[in-house]
Amino acid sequence: MSIIKKTILYILLTVAALSFIYPFFWMIMASLSPEAEIGSLVFFPSRITFSNYISMVSKIPIGRALFNSLLVSGINTGVALVFSSMVGYALSRMEFKGRNLIFMIIIFTMTLPFQITLIPNYIIMVKLRWVDSYLSLTVPFLINTFGILMFRQAFKGLPQALIDAARIDGCGDLRIIFTILWPNIKPTIVTVGILAFMGSWNEVLWPLIVIRDEQLMTLPQLVTLFAVGGRAESQIGVKLASAVFLATPIIVAYLFFQKHFIQSMASTGLKE
Amino acid sequence: MADVLLKNISKSYDGKTNVVESVSFEFKDKEFVVLVGPSGCGKSTVLRMIAGLEEITGGDLLIDNKRVNDLLPKDRDIAMVFQNYALYPHMTVYQNMAFGLKLKKMSRKEIDQRVQKAAAILDIIPLLDRRPKAMSGGQRQRVAIGRAIVRNPKVFLFDEPLSNLDAKLRVQMRVELQKLHKKLQATIIYVTHDQTEAMTLGDRIIVLKDGIVMQIGSPMKLYNQPDNIFVAGFIGSPPVNFIPGMIKRTDTLNFIHESTGFNVNLSDIPNKAIAGFEDKKVILGIRPEDIYSKPQINSGPFAKLSTTCIAIEQMGSEMLVYAALDEKQIIARFSPESKIEMGKRVDLFVDTGRVHFFDPETESVIR
Repeated sequence: MSIIKKTILYILLTVAALSFIYPFFWMIMASLSPEAEIGSLVFFPSRITFSNYISMVSKIPIGRALFNSLLVSGINTGVALVFSSMVGYALSRMEFKGRNLIFMIIIFTMTLPFQITLIPNYIIMVKLRWVDSYLSLTVPFLINTFGILMFRQAFKGLPQALIDAARIDGCGDLRIIFTILWPNIKPTIVTVGILAFMGSWNEVLWPLIVIRDEQLMTLPQLVTLFAVGGRAESQIGVKLASAVFLATPIIVAYLFFQKHFIQSMASTGLKE
Repeated sequence: MADVLLKNISKSYDGKTNVVESVSFEFKDKEFVVLVGPSGCGKSTVLRMIAGLEEITGGDLLIDNKRVNDLLPKDRDIAMVFQNYALYPHMTVYQNMAFGLKLKKMSRKEIDQRVQKAAAILDIIPLLDRRPKAMSGGQRQRVAIGRAIVRNPKVFLFDEPLSNLDAKLRVQMRVELQKLHKKLQATIIYVTHDQTEAMTLGDRIIVLKDGIVMQIGSPMKLYNQPDNIFVAGFIGSPPVNFIPGMIKRTDTLNFIHESTGFNVNLSDIPNKAIAGFEDKKVILGIRPEDIYSKPQINSGPFAKLSTTCIAIEQMGSEMLVYAALDEKQIIARFSPESKIEMGKRVDLFVDTGRVHFFDPETESVIR
């Protein structure tokens, strides 16, 4: 590639990257600015202050919400990985009547938007008396259709002899899944894990519907209510501080896993 | 080590057609038995049923006189070696070999002893810390065999273990498998589609076709006394030549191939059953090495077949001569110095003491 072409490419990429980074960077800096300076959209405040964060912590139980979010997303991700791989294994490696039908139904549910099932799901939660409990935040998300699909494909890509050998060595199906197959599909686990975690972390609508007790609210729910619900008293700085607080865990997780994530996105569906 | 007995074992996937049709045979203690047949003949299915990886649709499977149809693979006391090795990619060689023993809750010390011993037998001690990825095909296959040995099973099952190796390594491993069998004194059931492997390795060979047993016997019995056209055409390389013709009585009983006038006088042949085929079509079978370029002193009598040479393969130790016969060809194995020219007439002398006759309708041997 000629140098000119390369230069143009790099300039374009830099502009694109900056346009993504800029609002985020501004958000962080603004959350650290005195309230009076935020309106002028300056990049670097005259002095750094944590008053917005202090004020946020005093106004809402943000620590508790962070705990709730970590708990709920953690459970949802962990259990969804286990259950989805079990279903994926059954669909790819076990012979039983109606296997393809079940798989088609699972795929079909992926085409239904969440909004359509929102009301029926809510009614179920009410009937089960799970409203205002962790159960309503976790149980409906313990099976992940995307995860099932990914695991099914990943298991299909592994040789049957690996499973046969494990069976002769004395493994049951569960041990086959988790000690023999799992270590060989790490990229799939990371992909499904990150997507399940992000999906659960970013969920706002569902918690808004089933949780009213502030002590049980997840971070996005609390931040949303705080920002649009009037309790921030129109102070932009405090709202931005809560937004930074909300985004940080996901960004940290992404930085941590990005190598795996990109690798898995590039290699899913390919077998060695 | 143990006896394995299959009683009318059959397998069906759809409940209608059987891929294995009521096969019965016995593997004796310490015997090396090869199941051989073309792909799709059901040999691997039989092996997988013995292993417990496939359900048995009908019949009984007995290991050491105990019915094991409903036992899990791990409870059958067998070990299996797979064509693609099936080593656990995320474990080292040591862990691969120790895994099954760990699941049996064996003590660490005993596991270590067994792994070291098996590794010593197979010459893979330097590989114990490596992962399968960092090894060649031959090394992986050794590890796969090692994983079977450490279990100290009653029966070893081999599913085309050499098919993924290159030709040179395959010959080497064949010899090593023989040595291993001697060393382990184990019952080995070995599946292959390669008749050379079957001939060289087996104490006995079972030939399968379309889920049906075609013949069971020692390699030399199958080679010299094939029960049917399929076995005659499958065992041996190149296989038996088939010459279709009629049994006619002139003064004596003769086999006649019309277009070439090839005539075998049957009065010298001890086969009495052939008399029942007078005026009927039969197929004559003759091995390439029983056809000569000139009559021999110590054998015979010989029947002359005059035809045209259509191709010659000079192998160095021997010469394979392809001669035209109607639209087909027959192959003769001559000494490498034979003076044969392509496209010219060639006289083939068939050792009539070595011919087989087959009934074209049943494809069975006439004897």
